Amino acid sequence: MTFKVPVGPQHPALHEPEHFKVELEGEEIVDVDLRLGYMHRGIEKGLQDRNYHRGIYLAERVCGICSVAHSLSFALAAEDIADMQVPERADYIRTIVAELERLHSHILWAGVAGEEVGFQTLFMTMWRDREKVMDLLEMVTGNRVNYSINRVGGVREDIEDKHAEKILKNLESLEEDLKRYVEIFPSDSTVLARMKDKGILPKKKAQELSASGPVMRGSDIKRDVRADDPYAAYGEIPFDVPVETGEDVLAKAVVRLRECLESIEIIRYALDAMPEGSLMSDEVQGMPIGVNKGLPVGEVTGRVEAARGDLMYHMKSEGEEEDGPSRVKIRTPTLANIPAVFEMLEGESMAEVPIVLASIDQCFSCTERIAIVDKETHEKEIKNMQELREMER
Amino acid sequence: MNAALEFFVSYLLFPGIIFSFIFGQLFEGIDRKIAAHMQSRIGPPILQPFYDIGKLFTKEDITPEKSQSFFFNGAPLIAFGAVITAMIMIPVTGVIEPLGGSLSLIVVLYLLNIPAIALIIGGYASSSPFGVLGSNRYIIQLIGYELIFIITAITAAVHAGSYNLASGFGNWFIFRAPLAAAAMLLAVPGKLLKTPFDIPEAETEIVMGPLTEYSGPKLALFKLTHNIELLAIAGLFTALFLGGPVSVTIGAVTIPGVVTFLIQALVVAILITLIRCVTARLRIHQALKFYWGPIGFVAFLSLILAVMVW
Repeated sequence: MTFKVPVGPQHPALHEPEHFKVELEGEEIVDVDLRLGYMHRGIEKGLQDRNYHRGIYLAERVCGICSVAHSLSFALAAEDIADMQVPERADYIRTIVAELERLHSHILWAGVAGEEVGFQTLFMTMWRDREKVMDLLEMVTGNRVNYSINRVGGVREDIEDKHAEKILKNLESLEEDLKRYVEIFPSDSTVLARMKDKGILPKKKAQELSASGPVMRGSDIKRDVRADDPYAAYGEIPFDVPVETGEDVLAKAVVRLRECLESIEIIRYALDAMPEGSLMSDEVQGMPIGVNKGLPVGEVTGRVEAARGDLMYHMKSEGEEEDGPSRVKIRTPTLANIPAVFEMLEGESMAEVPIVLASIDQCFSCTERIAIVDKETHEKEIKNMQELREMER
Repeated sequence: MNAALEFFVSYLLFPGIIFSFIFGQLFEGIDRKIAAHMQSRIGPPILQPFYDIGKLFTKEDITPEKSQSFFFNGAPLIAFGAVITAMIMIPVTGVIEPLGGSLSLIVVLYLLNIPAIALIIGGYASSSPFGVLGSNRYIIQLIGYELIFIITAITAAVHAGSYNLASGFGNWFIFRAPLAAAAMLLAVPGKLLKTPFDIPEAETEIVMGPLTEYSGPKLALFKLTHNIELLAIAGLFTALFLGGPVSVTIGAVTIPGVVTFLIQALVVAILITLIRCVTARLRIHQALKFYWGPIGFVAFLSLILAVMVW
């Protein structure tokens, strides 16, 4: 006899309302079903109603943790349409802030992973060390979340020498902590008991299901937008893309922590190589807040590597007479990784549900776009993949 | 008349409800404070568990419609009664004779099982999928740690040559049977549902297991039971392996037995906190394997040694 356990919409393992219907036989998982749509905020529609300058504010608020990635992706797309050249110094600042964000996001994730397997001490100490990055972000941008650093055409704040000093100092002590964690994860016996060989995503399946980000790199696929399709200053900075061959949850954890170490190197190099120059593009020099007018006709995709994977903003502009974009489509990495969750949960037990869900570093608020509500009758309709494809055309 | 009065005093005041309430909550507070400092937090004030229980008792008693049953409502009372009865049978002071006759160890072992069984029944009766899942896990875990608990208790009894907790165990048997003491210490987190064996209550997996549907005074009673259980089990360990409560005279000052009992019990409680802070939660079959594998072997070895050598 099987019975259904509702993981969500309210559940301690999920930090956002989502509904996973898990069908169990004893402890073993027989079937998993997902119901999205609790957090739909209509952001894509909202972006169509705003001009580019106001749109970037909204894009930034798609997700609190990867707000630089969202605003950067939006800015890249808009700059591409306008054929605008961003000053080199702005590119470097974007890179540095994006890497700081990756650091804090990955450390946050590793702490949450510790909590999901019941390791409270790991959770607390990781979040304590994460504060070092949060302090840096606050110092550079003025905010702990939603940094508002990116503008269409450049960046808002400069990184001065005194900032650079503090960044290097904090990163040094953070590097020591991270090296310790990279050792703890694959050696602590209870962590191993919970993470090793659990939630396996074979390399072939990861390719078929087009997983992205650390989920894919944990399955031995070396793919990273920063290296494959460089944006901002990544083309000028040498760095490695760490991959792990474990295919399990542990591999995904180790990949993230090794990426953190790599991020620290990137920031150090960028601080050293950062050229002098202005922060905003010449074309928007007269406008202190960035672009606040229409852009020429065009249709482009802005693509960045967010902490969770490949993030895309597809943007379409229908001419300068319109203030903002006529259509923006956001493809977030969590959406790309959801098919992989079902693969990873196959044959596992209830005990693995939280850690496997966490292993894709789920961020549902940026994933929502599937429920369709009829305005007159208030009837809800859930669209499947095929219908969605047709709607998008 | 005198015997009846004595019983009421011991049940209500010492070492019954009032005493075990105060020190059970206090130990929980100390446990939380130490854990917080180990995790580089400040942690709640030591009196926090008192506030929590006080608040829970003043809350509205809500029982979900589908959980309405005699078993769901009665489980917390049965659990609380059993653990208080166990407390008055465990020697906590050298002066007042605890209740129970020559077989009190066996009675205490049974009584300490009743809270777990009450929680399991309450979980099943709650008709919540999380409660049922938690109770399923709890039964498996019960089979795991209880075997170790009983074997090690019997090992101590073999060394003592008696089942009478009040008078039989006067020695520090931890030196004669260190293996049994270690095995029992590792079984205690399983009995108290502390990490790495908080599997039946695993918060991120099954919300709160059998306790999911409990709220208000009923939840308070279960929490209270849980905290007193810590005191009772630490007390049982003290009585079995650490010579029980002994009053010590230093110069002109006589320290009563209850103080040494509390110190010993606190040491046991802190050891459990340490284990809790350095581990992740295991999976249920890993826990069973752990108890019936290496720990079971050690426990049986200590029993065989006790029977053959002594």
